[in-house]
Amino acid sequence: MAYTRKDVGNLTREERRRFVDALLTIKRRGEYDDFVRTHIRYFTADGENGLRPAHMAPSFLPWHRKFLLELERALRRVDSSVTVPYWDWTRHRTTTSVPWREDLMGGNGRRSDQQVTTGPFAYAHGNWTLREGVTDGEFLTRDLGRARAPIQLPTKSELEWALKDPVYDVAPWDSTARKGFRNKLEGWGTGRGSASWLNHNRVHRWVGGVMLGGASVNDPIFWLHHAFIDLQWTRWQRRHRGARYLPATPPGRGDAQRGRIVARHQKLPPWDVTPDELEDMGQIYRYA
Amino acid sequence: MVVGIGGVPVETGTGTSTTSTASGVGTVSTRRTCGTVGAATVRTGVGPGAAATAAAAAAGTSRPAGSTRREATRRLLASAVAAAMAPVVVGASRPARPGDTTFEETYRGRRIRGVWRHRSSGVKAGEWHVTVDGRPLHLMRRADGTWLSLVDHYQSYRTPLEAARGAVDELGPGQRLRDLAPGPVGEELHRLLMGGAHGGVHA
Repeated sequence: MAYTRKDVGNLTREERRRFVDALLTIKRRGEYDDFVRTHIRYFTADGENGLRPAHMAPSFLPWHRKFLLELERALRRVDSSVTVPYWDWTRHRTTTSVPWREDLMGGNGRRSDQQVTTGPFAYAHGNWTLREGVTDGEFLTRDLGRARAPIQLPTKSELEWALKDPVYDVAPWDSTARKGFRNKLEGWGTGRGSASWLNHNRVHRWVGGVMLGGASVNDPIFWLHHAFIDLQWTRWQRRHRGARYLPATPPGRGDAQRGRIVARHQKLPPWDVTPDELEDMGQIYRYA
Repeated sequence: MVVGIGGVPVETGTGTSTTSTASGVGTVSTRRTCGTVGAATVRTGVGPGAAATAAAAAAGTSRPAGSTRREATRRLLASAVAAAMAPVVVGASRPARPGDTTFEETYRGRRIRGVWRHRSSGVKAGEWHVTVDGRPLHLMRRADGTWLSLVDHYQSYRTPLEAARGAVDELGPGQRLRDLAPGPVGEELHRLLMGGAHGGVHA
């Protein structure tokens, strides 16, 4: 039977404790750091050569869906009652909103070095030492809202702008695609500064600290953020009945994107699964 | 200096300058060891002219605040240069060789250094090697010609130097880059996909 992913604001005290405990357990066993490494490894930018499975590509959504499923499976091996909650950042918008509770993600980083000093993932507790990272810093960092030049989380209407696009993705299938649900949600804009980070990307920016880098998985808020992104894919499918993942077939010979993106029925590295097989998760989980 | 891109005159900053940085911390002095920054055109090929001009674009970013025209023209230059350049920057810190182009500055107390290394063979004209305090900074290219660093992965910058400054902005006090050498795996993945094999990487 399908399990339920809930709004993080609706978890009971017991559910919050079990979710956090499961995260700490897989961290202690070394499993968590495998997820951090995988995310670093599979970030290929679109100005580089080769296949882009995870970002700046149509498979941004199925790749992260599978990634989230794998994390959730690891958590459920520890405690079968646990599911990954989602962070609706159009509702929980401040630096003291529900995700940042003492018994969930903990709070903002301190001013001097952005170190998170509250909650279960505070370095001083000894349960969340960063081993796979972009820097040699061993503690979790955050800069919620970016203190030196404040920015806001994306709004409902910014999310709606993505959701109302009836086409999943369009050529050139990368970070420069101006239309299509996928890039409007992933959030690669044009130009510089604040206006160029949209939806998904803007949230990484708003959290700051390790969430900004290739090792963003080091902050467990990553999963709550991506569960909400994943929910948007489900909402988009519900709204645009019959709309499918694109491209349906690989780009033809002579197309610059040939061999660089994953089409609907191609395998999505590092897994033995296709976007087609990841479009309907109804048998595995649903969102409350 | 004025260079032309497709008949459009483009102004770009040159020479050593000292100016307040965006954050208002420290001073910037940009130095070039290459004498070819005055290339008259940006080429769409991958020859040394393109590389040198790319280096100029990378280095020539010390700017007075509010110079919007200059900003706009530089953006144009940067993207034209980007189209001309081959991808991939992986850090290393060997001394520059003759003919290499470099930029170097101290930004917010961190030493940023970039070297463009020509390649005589292969599909790429060369690579940018950028370090912060001697540690390699992994940079990636975006399709629009801008640059991302591993430190700041969800935003791109017009030049390798700007991407390096963006990374410095996010490095906490006392933190240093870790020598990860992850490298883009795209080409490796491409081979695997085309060869029908599956990688041995598991999440």
